[in-house]
Amino acid sequence: MNDLPRKPLGPDADALASARPKYVGKAVQRLEDPRLLTGAGRYTADIRADRMVHAAFLRSEQAHARIKSIDCEAARGLPGVTGVYTAADFAGIPVIKAPSRMRDYRATSCTVLASEKVRYVGEPVAVVIARDRYIAEDALALIEVDWEPLDVAADPESAAYDGAPLLHDELGTNILFERVFETGEPDDAMAQAPHRVSGRFRMHRKSPLAIEPRSYVAEPDRANDGLTLYGSTQIPGILRDILSGLLDLPGSRIRVVAPDVGGGFGGKGSLYPEEIAVCALARRLGRTVKWVSDRSEDLASTSQGFDEIIEAELGFDDDGALIALKGRVTGDIGAYSIYPWTAALEPVQVVSFLPGPYRIPHYRGEVKGVATPKPPTGPYRGVGRPASVFVTERLIDMAAAHLGIDPAGMRRKNLVAEDEFPYRIGSGIVWDRSGFAECLDEACSRIGYEGLRKLQREARAAGRWYGIGIATYAELTGIGSRISVAPGMPINTGTETASIRVDSTGAVTATFAVASHGQSLETTLAQIVAEELGVRPEDVRIVQGDSGATSHGTGTYASRSAVLGGGAAIVTSRVLRDKIKRVASHLLEAAVEDIETGNGRVFVAGTDKSVTFAEVAHAVYSDMRALPAEARENLEASESYDPVTGTTTTATHIATVRIDPETLAVSIDRYLVAEDCGRMINPLVVDGQVHGGVAQGVGAALLEELSYDETGQLLTGSLADYTVPTAAEVPPIEVFHLETELPGNPGGFRGMGEGGTIGAPAAIANAISDALSPLGVGVTELPVTPERLFRLVSEARNKTDTEK
Amino acid sequence: MKPAPFEYLRATSVSEALEFLQHDDAKIIAGGQSLVPMMNFRLAQPERLVDINAIAELTEISEDGADIVIGSLVRHAEAMRSPLLARRLPVIAEAMRHVAHLAIRNRGTVGGSLVHADPSAEWPLLVALLNGEIIVEGPEERRYLAAEEFFIAPLVTDIGEDEILTAVRFPEPPSGAGMAFDEVARRAGDFAMAASGALVQVEGGVIRDLRVALGGVGDGPVRASALEEELTGKPVDAVSVADIAELACEGLEPMTDLHASAEYRLHLVPVLVGRVLETALARAAGGRA
Repeated sequence: MNDLPRKPLGPDADALASARPKYVGKAVQRLEDPRLLTGAGRYTADIRADRMVHAAFLRSEQAHARIKSIDCEAARGLPGVTGVYTAADFAGIPVIKAPSRMRDYRATSCTVLASEKVRYVGEPVAVVIARDRYIAEDALALIEVDWEPLDVAADPESAAYDGAPLLHDELGTNILFERVFETGEPDDAMAQAPHRVSGRFRMHRKSPLAIEPRSYVAEPDRANDGLTLYGSTQIPGILRDILSGLLDLPGSRIRVVAPDVGGGFGGKGSLYPEEIAVCALARRLGRTVKWVSDRSEDLASTSQGFDEIIEAELGFDDDGALIALKGRVTGDIGAYSIYPWTAALEPVQVVSFLPGPYRIPHYRGEVKGVATPKPPTGPYRGVGRPASVFVTERLIDMAAAHLGIDPAGMRRKNLVAEDEFPYRIGSGIVWDRSGFAECLDEACSRIGYEGLRKLQREARAAGRWYGIGIATYAELTGIGSRISVAPGMPINTGTETASIRVDSTGAVTATFAVASHGQSLETTLAQIVAEELGVRPEDVRIVQGDSGATSHGTGTYASRSAVLGGGAAIVTSRVLRDKIKRVASHLLEAAVEDIETGNGRVFVAGTDKSVTFAEVAHAVYSDMRALPAEARENLEASESYDPVTGTTTTATHIATVRIDPETLAVSIDRYLVAEDCGRMINPLVVDGQVHGGVAQGVGAALLEELSYDETGQLLTGSLADYTVPTAAEVPPIEVFHLETELPGNPGGFRGMGEGGTIGAPAAIANAISDALSPLGVGVTELPVTPERLFRLVSEARNKTDTEK
Repeated sequence: MKPAPFEYLRATSVSEALEFLQHDDAKIIAGGQSLVPMMNFRLAQPERLVDINAIAELTEISEDGADIVIGSLVRHAEAMRSPLLARRLPVIAEAMRHVAHLAIRNRGTVGGSLVHADPSAEWPLLVALLNGEIIVEGPEERRYLAAEEFFIAPLVTDIGEDEILTAVRFPEPPSGAGMAFDEVARRAGDFAMAASGALVQVEGGVIRDLRVALGGVGDGPVRASALEEELTGKPVDAVSVADIAELACEGLEPMTDLHASAEYRLHLVPVLVGRVLETALARAAGGRA
């Protein structure tokens, strides 16, 4: 090694660039795809074990009822049934509560299986363990429950009244929390505002609906009195920590592994009773227990999202400058306050983000969360912001129409300007500099906004209904420890740790506590580590989604993994790279400062003197003659990263729609997104996230709604009735990226996985309202189903007829 | 979502299938596109399944004199691609494009759709529109049923537990007739909130034969007889489709469900009828340009 000839590589930067390639920002093809696309992926349902048994859950058919008795005898007698268990069999497991230090918050008590009473249709009441799932379901049909139905207040407004039937008697109310955010003098300012617009808006309940339903396999480790839970989860670390307490097992004996996971969208981001049940039963039986949710169960029992009534008013002056905003949010949070996020997660985000990216001096946001006999709500892509952006962007359009100002101009006038950052909005959220106005301008120019308005005038003249809708929003992503403590949860989501090592063969393994379920983290984190260490992305093995591999970490949710996981990857890689350089400086007999890494080699800059990573590793671990003992540094590093605050991501979405004036069928004509997510790690992945997010937003805007009737029965229990967009309903999406100013985190990244879902409902609602504006009606309720559109248009036509 | 236990028998002839159906609780399985989901939901729990997929004689699309005969095992996708149907009854292919999605069209059968009798489905409407005759084979006799005899109520038909639907026979349409089909559904491939088909024959500028069928707005396929009577015998030039389409709503009592109210369905009927009539007229020999 030491006798390599010294030959200059050439002084130009190109040579150094090719010796030290950059991967961040490149459209690197997904490293996980060969596995997933050839069927070599391993999902929870693929896991099998010797003597494995299957679970099936008997679920409540009642929304609110007392359980008088459960007769399991016939089910127990069915050949192939191992056992049938009810709440009493889990009596040793502590009651689950989602605690919070938030003032006036009331945590609900939830048991693994409903005991005494049920609180929603779909709540697990009993569990059958059998040789196969068919027999388990045969046994379910033999269980008889004697119900005593109780009164039901299914809608959150009636459930909030004094005297409404109580879901949790011990709390004395169905209101689980109330909060108020206030800045300035909202009442006076609103009263004095020259103009006001207001509305009562409704966002209906949705299912995250991942293509892989929730699935769990609990495998007991009898030799070590331990347990491994394989599960389709976004939060293996959080689960390990809570299950350790619930099952009274030290973390060293319980491991939670998320293998390949087919989407989550928030629905796999909370603790579920089924997870606890399979773990407890696996330990009790000493056998591996598997449960794979079917689609009906998934619709009836996975956490749901976006269920709010929002009354809001916006005050502004003659020029369109915004003065005051008031919002009152009633969140329908379902039967339980979900662990760990609590019932406050979604509705509080609505009032936190209602002022949006705008300069509004006076604000009051009031929010209450009301328990109703429906499945618990939890995180769903966008959390709160799809609703807040829908309301604020509708109000902005209504205000623009009121003054006769163009909606794009109305936004431009009120967006927080470049010299105003950091800007604190009325709810206390602080925006760091992000391309608010730049994205709006880019979107308008790319779509040819003026031309579209001309097209619209021509369409209207010809009797066609054509609308253009804009949504501009900002979101706080990559949240660090100072912000993550605000909701008062007993968990820390504000840090991430990376552990990276070069083993004795020279191979690089990087371990994270994030849990990719479609985000391409095996690619993007590998790009970062590869660039920082000086190897190729395909040379980096990313280990993630395994609580056994890390001391602490929570998982993948809240647009955090690129900022926090990526940040940890950078700081850790740099520590490790310095170690590699120090070792190599001995081998290459050069000063550390002269040493560079790239393409899997460690070299002296400007020379062709180099060693491979494998040679460095050999010298450290295997060839005890190669280095002085004090120079043998283990080639591994583990560092944490905490962004402390959050970072702002922004975008403008523009949708154009055509509405058939006769059938009222809506078709999205064009859809364009201009976004600023800072420095992109991989533009292919960013585009994919935008596309997927917009598709879900199209669902929220036009199609998806979990309908519960006044008795709390689910009416949309299958995908024939819960209508999600298919390829035919999702338009081609044009995406443009801006990098106005990089945020102050190590990679300059901003989180962007949720944005598509945040902007799309508002943009489409505004486009439909714009198309309908000659009729004098606008959208206040999402999704805009054909039936709702029919009601809206009929109302307008009847009004016109009456006026004639 | 697993079915209850059942016995499975595979028939290779109609007579064998009829023999297997001699059982208290037997059900025929063809494409399985409606039955299997119902079994998985345990809404249907037949003790015995009689698989007819191996009965070759039920898979043909053929001409019998001037008639067209479509075997009950013909898949929607085959009907959609059939050159014979494209030539003789092109409205069938036009309607098939609205039947669910590719995978379902590849498996689902004509007979399965007819016996399932969803009021929004395309095949029942086509039988009503084209004066088709549903052929049912039983242990004792073979029966020939028109749409109004066969379809009794939503998901209820006149077929007996021991009978098999073997084919549907379509008479030759009036010469030079123009036909059209259209529907409105929430998403591509969903069941129609309203559907309509039209067939019109024009001779010497006069409407000689007119049929309009509707789906999704009644207990089964419905013919718009008031409209048909009004227009038959009228000169084409004297007909303003927009003015008369409302007549198609006469006597209709559509259902309200999650996806569409009765009022919205009634709103859609004249719109769709107007559109298919215009198209059928344009396609009819001697009709409008």
